Amino acid sequence: MTRDDKRCVITGLGMICAIGNNVDECWANALHSTSGIAHTKTVDTVDCYTDYAAEVRCADLDAPHTKEMDRVSKLCIKATAEAMADAGLKSFDGNPRCSVIIGSCVGGVVSIEKYYTEAKKPEYIKQMPISAIASQVAGATGAGGVVTNVANACAAGTISIAYASDLIRNGKADIVVAGGADAFASVPYAGFISLHALASDPCSPFNHSSGLTLGEGSGIVIVESYEHAKARGAKMYCEVLGSGISSDAHHITAPRPDGEGQMSAIRRALRNSGVNESDIGYVNAHGTGTSKNDEAEFLSLHTIFDGKNKNLSVSSTKAMTGHCLGAAGAIEAVFAIKALTQNTIPPTVGYSDEDIKALADKAGDMDFCPNKPHAKQLNTVMSNSFAFGGNNASIVFGKDNGDVRVQESKPNVYVTGIGAVTPLGNGVPRYLEACANGEKIEGQSARSSVSSCDYDAVGLKMAFYRKLDRFSQLQAVSGMQALINAEYAVTADNAADIGIIVGTSEGALGPGCDFEIQIADRGNAAGSAFKFPNTVYNAAGGYLSICSGIKGYNVTVTNGAQSGLFSIAYAADVIRSGEEKAMLASGTDENSDIMDELYRGLGLVAGEQVLPYAFNSQAFALSDGSVSVMLESDESATARNAKKYCRIAGTGSAHSGVQFGTLIGSEKALDIAITDAVKDAGLALGDIDAVIGFANGHKAIDRIELDSYGRVFGAAAQRIPVISVKERMGEGRASAAALAVAHGALILHGDIKTETSAFVIGKDGKAARKAISCDGLKNILVTSFGAGGSYCAVILTKD
Amino acid sequence: MNELEVKKSLKEFFCNNLGIEADALEYDTPLFSDGIGLDSIDSLEIIAFVDSTYGVSMTGVGKEPFYNIDSIAAYIVSHS
Repeated sequence: MTRDDKRCVITGLGMICAIGNNVDECWANALHSTSGIAHTKTVDTVDCYTDYAAEVRCADLDAPHTKEMDRVSKLCIKATAEAMADAGLKSFDGNPRCSVIIGSCVGGVVSIEKYYTEAKKPEYIKQMPISAIASQVAGATGAGGVVTNVANACAAGTISIAYASDLIRNGKADIVVAGGADAFASVPYAGFISLHALASDPCSPFNHSSGLTLGEGSGIVIVESYEHAKARGAKMYCEVLGSGISSDAHHITAPRPDGEGQMSAIRRALRNSGVNESDIGYVNAHGTGTSKNDEAEFLSLHTIFDGKNKNLSVSSTKAMTGHCLGAAGAIEAVFAIKALTQNTIPPTVGYSDEDIKALADKAGDMDFCPNKPHAKQLNTVMSNSFAFGGNNASIVFGKDNGDVRVQESKPNVYVTGIGAVTPLGNGVPRYLEACANGEKIEGQSARSSVSSCDYDAVGLKMAFYRKLDRFSQLQAVSGMQALINAEYAVTADNAADIGIIVGTSEGALGPGCDFEIQIADRGNAAGSAFKFPNTVYNAAGGYLSICSGIKGYNVTVTNGAQSGLFSIAYAADVIRSGEEKAMLASGTDENSDIMDELYRGLGLVAGEQVLPYAFNSQAFALSDGSVSVMLESDESATARNAKKYCRIAGTGSAHSGVQFGTLIGSEKALDIAITDAVKDAGLALGDIDAVIGFANGHKAIDRIELDSYGRVFGAAAQRIPVISVKERMGEGRASAAALAVAHGALILHGDIKTETSAFVIGKDGKAARKAISCDGLKNILVTSFGAGGSYCAVILTKD
Repeated sequence: MNELEVKKSLKEFFCNNLGIEADALEYDTPLFSDGIGLDSIDSLEIIAFVDSTYGVSMTGVGKEPFYNIDSIAAYIVSHS
C-alpha cells in the first residue's frame, strides 16, 4: 500500500476541446458519441487533400487579463480556471509549494502566424515560445514553485501529470496545476498535410486507420498530495498512481513497429503503480488513427494484456476530440478519470456495422467500445500517449492507493561527463583552452558551429545528421560528447537505465518560424515534410535518443534561459527517485537569422560590447550552443570506476509571476530558489564558496542577481566571488545555464585553476573584477533565471 | 527536356533541401542506401519537388525510379 505521505490525488478537473468548453459539456457529449470534427474555416485549405479539424468553439475565450496572450494560453487559462474552481482553490498567493507544469507541442503558433502574415510586432514575438504558457498560468494562479513547460509533442500532456506527481512525491510541491494545451493553426495543419498523416475523412482510430484529424484544446488536472488535500478537506476524484516514460531510439516521426518503446512505458507505469495487468479496467489509448500508430498500439496492447486480462476496455476519444497534440494526454487523462469515477467507458466513434465485424478480429478479447459508451465497474485505469521523437508515456489512475514504488534512500548524483558546443569551439579540451586564453566571443550575435570533424569525433554519419535542423545538430553533438567524455557505452543491456532531459528556452522556435515563412508564401499545401518534424521542441532529444541508443526517460523542458540549469535539477531528481541510473541533461538554444531577428525585434541584442555587471545596457550579446552533462548515481559511477567531476548536492526552483518577457518584480523568487537549494544540499548559507551567476549585461537582470545575493547572504556576499560564463560566451540562454554547471564541475575537478571572469560585490552593490584561485572551492552555487519570473539554483559540491 | 539539366537540378535540390553533402552525392549514388539514407519522409519531398518543378507525378510509382538521381531523371524525362 502506498504510504499516505507518498499519495497523490486529483482534486480538480478542467477541460476545453471541440466537444465542449468545460468538463461536464465534454463528458456529456462524449457519452452522446458526439464528434467535434468538422470542416475548418480558420486556415487556408486550398489544394489540401482534407479540411477536417476539431476546433474549439467558445464565445468567452477572450478575458481582459488574457487579451495579449496567444490562443494556446487562453485555452489553457480557461481550463485552469475551471480546474482551480473545481478543486476549491483561489489564488496560491505566490506559495512556493504550488507549481505549474504544462505540456505543449506547438505553443504560441498562432502568434507565429500573425507575426509573419499580419505584422512583425514585438508583442507577437513574446507570445511565440512554449515557455510563455506555464508562466502565464502561474501568473493567473499565483503559483510560486516550479513553473515549467514540457515540450514532448503529443506525449507532453501525459508527461506533465507524471512529472507533477513525481514532484509531489519527491517533497518539492504540495499542489501542481498540470496538463497541456495546444491551438489549431496553419503550422501543424500544413505540417501533417505534408507528411500525408491527416485522414481524408474524420479520423477513425483502430478502425480505418487512414490518418489523424487535428484538434485543439486544453486539459488541466489539479494534482495534490493526499495529506494536503485531506488537511484542507478537498474533494478527491482518484489517486495518481505510477507513470512510465521511455524513448524508442528509432525514428523521428514513426513509432517502432514492434511497439518496444510503448510497452516499456506501459510496463514502467504498471511497475511504478504497484498494480498488474489484470488490474487495469480501461485504457484511454493514444489511438491517433494513423496506420503506423494503430498497428504498433494494437501490438503493444495485445502483447501486454493478452492472457493476463480478459476484461480490458480500450477506447480512443480522439475520434471525437481530434488529436490535440500537447493537450491530448491531458484531455485524455480527464476522460480517463471521468471514466473511472463514473464507471463508464467513453466510446471510440465512427464504426459502421461492417467495421464492427472487422474489429472483432483485431480486438481479440479487448473491448474497443465502438460507437456507444457503456457502464463498467472500474477500479484502475490507464492513459497512454506516444509522440514524435519516439517519446512514450503511460500513467495510471486508481480508486485505491495502489502500491506506488518509492525510493527510500536517495542516491548521491555525480557529474561524470561533459559535452560542450560553444561559439568558441567544441569539446571540453577546447573549452578549457578558451578559458585559459581568456577568449571571448566577437560581436553581439554569436553562433556555434558543428563540422564534419565534430560529427566524425562522435561517430555520427551524414545519413543521420543531414536530417537534423541546427538546434538538433548542436544537441546531438554535445550529448554524444558527454557520453564519450564519461566513457559511458550505451548497450542493449543498459539502454533503458539512462535517460535524457533537454532544457531549452526557445527550442525549435526557429524551425517553426521557418516552416511558417514557407507556408505563408506558398500556401498550406506546400509545407515541407522534411522540415516539419524539426518544428517540435523535442525533436533534438528524440534524435539524441536515436543516435545514442538511449531508451529510458526522455523529456524536453522549456522555461526560459534557466532551462539548461533546470534540466540538470530535473535529471538529478529522476536519478534520486530511482527511475534511472544515469541521465544526460542538456541546455541547448540556437542563434540563427530568425532568432536574431526576433531578439532584435524585442530590442535585446546589444549594439556594442556589453559586459556583465557593467550596468550600462538594456541588451546583451545573443549567443547559442549546447552543453550536456552526464549525471549518474553514485552506484553507477562507482561500479564502472567513472571520473566524478562533482556532486549535484541540492536544487531549488521558484517563481514570482510578472508579465511574460519581463523579470522586474520577481526578485524574491531567486532568494527562495537559492535558500531551497542550500537547504536541499544539507548545507548552510555560509558553506557557499562561490557563485556562477546569470548576469548577461542587461542591467535589470544583473541588478536582480546581485541584489538577491546581498539579501540572501548578507554581508557575506562581499566575500563570495561571482563567476560569469556569459562574459566569454554571451547570452546562450539554456546553453549558458548548462555551461555554468559544466564550468563549476571543471573548477571543482581541478581542471580550471584560476578564474579570470570573476567579480566581487562591493559595499556599494557594484561588482568589481577580481581573478581568483579555484583551489579550496568546495561548494559552488549556480543560478539562472527565466523570463516571466522563474529562477533555478543548483549546488555543486566537491566530495 | 535535357536529362543532364534535370540531374543537376535534382542534385541541387538534394543538397539544399535534404541536407546531403555535395561531395557524397554522384548521379549514380544509391539514395536509400546507408550512406545517404533517404527515407519515406524524404521521398515525400522528392515527389513534391518533381511534381511542382516538372509537372510529373511520382506518387505511388514504387521504389525503382527512386534508386538514384539517374533513375529519377530518366523517369521525369520519359513521363514529361
